[in-house]
Amino acid sequence: MAALVSALVLVVLLGVASRKAGQAFVWYDEAASILLAWLTYYGAALVALRRGHMGVPTLVDRLRGRTRAAVVIGGEVAVVGFFAAMAWAGWQVQQALAGTMLVSMPAVPAALAQSVIPIGAALFIVAQLWSLPAALSGASAGAGEVAPPQSKSAPAGSPSS
Amino acid sequence: MTAALVVLLLLLVLANVPIAVALGLMATTAVVAASGFDALPNIALVMFTGATKFPLIAIPLFILAGAIMNASGISTRLVAFASAVFGFIRGGLATVSIAASLFFAEISGSAVADVAALGSILIPSMKKKGYSPEFAAAVTSSSATLAVIIPPSIPLILYGVMSGASVVELFVAGILPGVLGGLLMMFMAYLWARRAKLEADQAFRLGRVWATFKEAGWSLVLPVIILGGIFSGWVTATEGAALAVVAALGVGGVAYKGLTRKKLARAVVEAGSQTAVVMLLVASSALLGDYLTEVRAPQRIVESIMGVTDSRLAILAMLNGFLLLLGLFLHSAAAIVLVVPIAMPLVEAAGIDPVHFGMIVALNLGVGQQTPPVASVLVTACSVAKTDIWRTTRTNLWFVGVLLAILALVTYVPAFSLSLVEAFFR
Repeated sequence: MAALVSALVLVVLLGVASRKAGQAFVWYDEAASILLAWLTYYGAALVALRRGHMGVPTLVDRLRGRTRAAVVIGGEVAVVGFFAAMAWAGWQVQQALAGTMLVSMPAVPAALAQSVIPIGAALFIVAQLWSLPAALSGASAGAGEVAPPQSKSAPAGSPSS
Repeated sequence: MTAALVVLLLLLVLANVPIAVALGLMATTAVVAASGFDALPNIALVMFTGATKFPLIAIPLFILAGAIMNASGISTRLVAFASAVFGFIRGGLATVSIAASLFFAEISGSAVADVAALGSILIPSMKKKGYSPEFAAAVTSSSATLAVIIPPSIPLILYGVMSGASVVELFVAGILPGVLGGLLMMFMAYLWARRAKLEADQAFRLGRVWATFKEAGWSLVLPVIILGGIFSGWVTATEGAALAVVAALGVGGVAYKGLTRKKLARAVVEAGSQTAVVMLLVASSALLGDYLTEVRAPQRIVESIMGVTDSRLAILAMLNGFLLLLGLFLHSAAAIVLVVPIAMPLVEAAGIDPVHFGMIVALNLGVGQQTPPVASVLVTACSVAKTDIWRTTRTNLWFVGVLLAILALVTYVPAFSLSLVEAFFR
C-alpha cells in the first residue's frame, strides 16, 4: 500500500512537471486514476482486517450473548456475500476484456487495470474472515472512528472529515 | 420495491455492516431484481470506474501531507507560537487551541487529524491549568470542526466531485465563514474563561513571539505555498495536494529534521487506509447513483417538493433540517456520498448555487461531528480529555451554537460565502 500511495504522489508530480514543461504526458490522468482504484480496494481489504470501515456499531455494542452473535454473523454473511458477488462479476469482466488495451497506455491490458476488482474482493473476504473472531468477541475497534498517526487515544483506521 | 430496499439498507447498517457495503448490497439487490444475474458483471465495472475519479486523488495526498507535518513536530511548534501570541488573554489556552486549530486546518484538511494532533498537546495543558476536562474537550473539538470549511478540506473535495462544483471555488467560499467562526469561538471561549475565572496562560512578550515564530516559521509558509498555488490557478487542487506533500517533506524532513523513516512509513500507510475508507464509499455510491437514476428518484423528489413549495428559503430550511438530522447518525463522508446525488437536482431546480450548497452541507455535517451518538471529532477529543461525551456536550452546546450561527448566516446570506468566489472567479 505504501508503494501505491508513493506511486500516486510521483505520478501526479510528474504530471504537473510535464504540463509545466509544455509537454503533458497523455497517460498521466489514466495512470493516476487506476492507481487510486487499486489503492481503494487493496487499502479497503487492509482496513477490513482491523475493522476500520465506517459503520454504525451502536446497536451491536449494546447486544450481548447469542443475539449479538446472531446479528454479527448475519452482518458477516452479508459482507462476504457482497464481495463474493463482486469477485465473480470481476472475474467475468476479466474474461470479457481479454485482448483489450488501455487507451492512453496501449501496452497495458485493460484486464490488468480491472484485476483489482476480483483480487481486491477476494482479499476483502479473507480479511473479513480473519478478523471475525475478534469481532465476535467484541474486542474489535468501533468501526468508523478515526485515528490519524501518532494519536494514541483514538481507535485505529478511518475517515477524515 | 424502493421501500423494501430502504428497509434492507437500514437492517444492514444496524447490524454494523460497513455503510459502503450496505449501499453496494442494496444497489446490487435492486439490479439483480430488475435485470437478473446477467447484469452482475456490470456491477464490477461500475465499482471500478466509481473508484477512478481523478480529483479525489487530492484526498490521500492532503491526508499524507498532514500526517507528515504532524509526524515531524509541527503541532508542538504551532502551539508554542499561538501561545506566545494569544496566551495573554484570559483563558488563553482555549484561544490558543482555536487559533492553532484554524491554522492546522489549512494543511491537513481533516478535523479528526486536527483534534488528535493538537488536542493531545493542548488538552492536558488546559487540565493542568485548572480548565474542566469538558471545557477543554469542547473547545478543541468544536474549533477543529471549523476545519471542514477552511481550505483545503476533504469533505469539500468530496462534495465537489459528487456535485460537479469547482473544488477551488468551494475552498475560496469557506474562507470568510471559517475566519468569522474562529473569531466568534474565541469570543465565546473568553466569556467562558471569565465566568470560570480562568487565568491567562502567559504574559505577552515580543521576544517570545519572535523566538517561537522563528521556530514555527517554515510551517507558516506552507499554507501560502499550497493555497497560493491553488487559488492563483497555477496548479489544480489535486496537483496542489501533491505540492503539499513535497512541501511537508521539505519542512518536516529537511528544515525540522523531525522525520524518521519509520514515522514516514506510518504516515503513508495511514493516508492510504483513510483514503480507502472514503473511496470504498464513493465507489459503492456510484452503484447507488445508477440505481437512483434508473428509478428517477431525485426527479421524483424534486417534483414532490416543488409541488408543495418553490420558495428557496423554505427549501433551504428543509435541507438544513434533513442534513442536521443525518449528521446525528452518519459520518460526514458517508452522508455526502449518500445525499449529494439525491439532493443536487432539487438544489438546482430551486436555483441554489452548488458552491453555496456545498458550504451548507459541510457546515451541517460539521455540526454532526459534534453531536452524539455519532460524533467522530467529539469522541476523539473526549478520549484525549478522558471525559464523558454527554457531559462534554452540555458545555459544547455553546460552541455548537457558534457553528449553527455561522450555518444560518451562510444559508440565508449567500453573499457571505459567495462574494469572494464572485470577486475572483466569476
